[in-house]
Amino acid sequence: MANYNEKRQKPQSTKSRLKGYALKGNIKKGLAGTFIYGWLMASLTIILVPILWMISAAFTDTENLNAVPIIPNPTRWSLANYQEIFTYTGSTTQALPDYPRAFLVSLGVASLSTVLTVIFSSLVGFAFSRYRFHGKKPVLLSMFGLQLFPSFMGMIALFLLFNQFGWLNSWPHLSLIYVAGSIPFNTFIIRGFMKNIPLSLDESARIDGASNVQVLRKIIIPLAAPILGFVAVDSFMKPWLDYILPSILMPENETVAMWLFRVNDNESQPYNPMLFMAGGLFIAVPIMMVQIYMQKYVVYGLTGGAEKG
Amino acid sequence: MDKFKHFGLKILNAFKRVGLFIVKGIPLGIYNFFKSIVFAIINFFKRLKGAKNEHPNSFKRGLASFFLMGLGQIKNKQWYKGVPILAIFLLFIIIEIATSGYWWALSGEIANYPAEGKLYFFRDYGGLFTRGIWGLLTLGAVTTYSTYRGVDIRPRGALFGWDMGDNSRVLLGEGVIVFVLVALLFILWIVSIRDAYKTHLKVAAGKTIEDAKSFYKRISEEYFAYLIIIPALMLITFFILIPFIFSFMVAFTNYTDNISLGRELIEWHGFDTFVKVFNPEEDWFKFFNQTLMWTLFYAFMSSVTVYVLGLVQAIIIESKYVVGKKVWRTIFILPWAIPGMIILLLFSNVFGADQGLLNNILASTGSTDAFRGFLRSIGLVGQASEGNILWFTSSANAPLARTIIILVNLWMGFPYFMLMITGVLTTIPKMLIEAADIDGATSWQKFRYLTLPWVIRGTAPVIITTFTFNFNNFGMIYFLTGGGPGYPRSEIPTALIGVAPGQTDILISWIYKLSFESTVNQFNLAAAYSILIFLLIGVVALVQLSRLKSFWEEE
Repeated sequence: MANYNEKRQKPQSTKSRLKGYALKGNIKKGLAGTFIYGWLMASLTIILVPILWMISAAFTDTENLNAVPIIPNPTRWSLANYQEIFTYTGSTTQALPDYPRAFLVSLGVASLSTVLTVIFSSLVGFAFSRYRFHGKKPVLLSMFGLQLFPSFMGMIALFLLFNQFGWLNSWPHLSLIYVAGSIPFNTFIIRGFMKNIPLSLDESARIDGASNVQVLRKIIIPLAAPILGFVAVDSFMKPWLDYILPSILMPENETVAMWLFRVNDNESQPYNPMLFMAGGLFIAVPIMMVQIYMQKYVVYGLTGGAEKG
Repeated sequence: MDKFKHFGLKILNAFKRVGLFIVKGIPLGIYNFFKSIVFAIINFFKRLKGAKNEHPNSFKRGLASFFLMGLGQIKNKQWYKGVPILAIFLLFIIIEIATSGYWWALSGEIANYPAEGKLYFFRDYGGLFTRGIWGLLTLGAVTTYSTYRGVDIRPRGALFGWDMGDNSRVLLGEGVIVFVLVALLFILWIVSIRDAYKTHLKVAAGKTIEDAKSFYKRISEEYFAYLIIIPALMLITFFILIPFIFSFMVAFTNYTDNISLGRELIEWHGFDTFVKVFNPEEDWFKFFNQTLMWTLFYAFMSSVTVYVLGLVQAIIIESKYVVGKKVWRTIFILPWAIPGMIILLLFSNVFGADQGLLNNILASTGSTDAFRGFLRSIGLVGQASEGNILWFTSSANAPLARTIIILVNLWMGFPYFMLMITGVLTTIPKMLIEAADIDGATSWQKFRYLTLPWVIRGTAPVIITTFTFNFNNFGMIYFLTGGGPGYPRSEIPTALIGVAPGQTDILISWIYKLSFESTVNQFNLAAAYSILIFLLIGVVALVQLSRLKSFWEEE
């Protein structure tokens, strides 16, 4: 109480008090604002400079990276690098130039594994979310146990296996590995999603005489479309730029990742980082757009989806 | 001051718990594991004896299936179960006989080509299964260019192949496939024995057993679920399980590059490879130790730094001063939206020694010397030469290369956490903030006691996932530095030239090099290291998995 009175005894004019407060607040606000914008600008610079440099290199006609302007320079604009990558052919036996060919191989691997992963994991997810059968829990547990094995553990064996069966350099077989590897995790996600679809929907369909397949096709799949979309994008991205497996299993059937690594590796032929810049940018832009568009779902898939199980 | 004390105590406690777990928990767990196995075996025999004494007739039915798969079912008059089981068994027998050379053995070939030393009967005349198991157990016995049964063994042999050298890799591969098939048959065998016994128990008790119709109806209802999961399971078995078993086995062999096809054979060497890994007197140990330490440090640092920066960026963008939040966020997401491999290869050029963005900027602004001097003064640079900074190529600059790896990881990793934490921030109930405002909390207090705990609670599991991801982030090292700089030549023993890791190699990138890139590929060591990684990561992942309640709720 004493304190309160003390304050009251030293009255300040309302006007000056307000003014002082506003001034102090402004300075504080100004400082914080300056600091925050300074921080944001610094982050911006550090993020954008390498990216701009890459764009600049992709469109500059030079052999030396040191000659590339850091900020894209319109007067030195050139499509020479793109001309090079879309025409250069390393071996005379192949119909397409190296880069487009590698691009198509990667596209094949990624598309096939996307299609198969979505089909297989929605089927398995459906089975695990809707049916009771003997061995359900052991199968589920062992599937997730297997998923804990890092895929590289099987590298040596996969190489021998592919060698034995004559599957080296065959991209459909390569994509089967990605499918097998991604079924457990995606099953997990899809099963969790399907469990939340009310059982009464299937039951009423069954009363109307729908078969197992019809329930899956007409009811469950359309309702699970969002999560299937997420799984599709995810299982396309994984093989799209994977390097380890193709480099071991497809030594003579280059994928885009192998091409990028090769032109950027100063021990290989042809070594030309400018080609990497051009080819890499060409691939990065569409993926970047998809990722920015999909950001919500990706974060959901990795946290929300797994948490919900 | 009290706060710090409290915090310190908390950390101490955490360490204490981890220590207790290692000292007490792990041995106790192993002890319990073996104890439960022993008890399960004892229990099994007790129950077997009990069954024999109490229900001798039912026991006989089980015994019938024990001697011939499906016989017990047929005796139970369940021909619809017995016949398919018997058919599967017969199929195995027929395949075995059809692929064997028993006929040749019987028709006197052994007498014509007697073995001087030892006759490997299953090697020469076994069918698919017996030969596969023989191969798995011995990994081959006859080398190319030796003499066996009076015949010179050449790379390519005649009719049934006994006069051909053994190829251990093929035998191991086929052996694993056969092993999986036989294991499946074994499971069916056990199931049929149990089923024969249990069904007869029901008969003896006067209960009705299901007839063919209801059995098939039950099966066809379950059938659909099996039908749709079996193709996926087959894929997983063939492309994940079998390679894994194979790799696991390689760690217990002498499989290195010295084994050229057929010239020398792979042999089972028990735990020799693991001795090599853990014996401090071996040359390998030093490199393994250093690589493991760096891997752990890198994985820890790279997970923590991205988290902290992600948090900072999320909070700054969400603060009331920032205009155009969406634009800022989209720009900051760019590093995450570009594929990681392309970013890493890009940064390998940014830090190029002769041609590179950074050296170029330093040179054109004339500050190379100053910057090099600065880096040297903080201990990151030790290169002898003046001129360009050798980011990844001078063996004295290892601390610099390691710092750059963590910084590049930060560059590409923070946006993901920024996105995630932004998402979590929006879930803080408005009520809580209002209540804090009414109580007169300062913004620091609101952050410390409200926002921070809320965010950490929502995202802590992801830190662990990030740690395990980074631990095995092959591309981070392989694309950015390629493992370089290497250790100084004087530190590498002659035996390890060409196989030693680089100073920034993490375990996974070293394993890749050991298997596919070194001058003398060390497959067994690579496999042993992978098993160690698996044990480490597997434990973390299991703990993670066990937290997901819904996973264990499955009936």
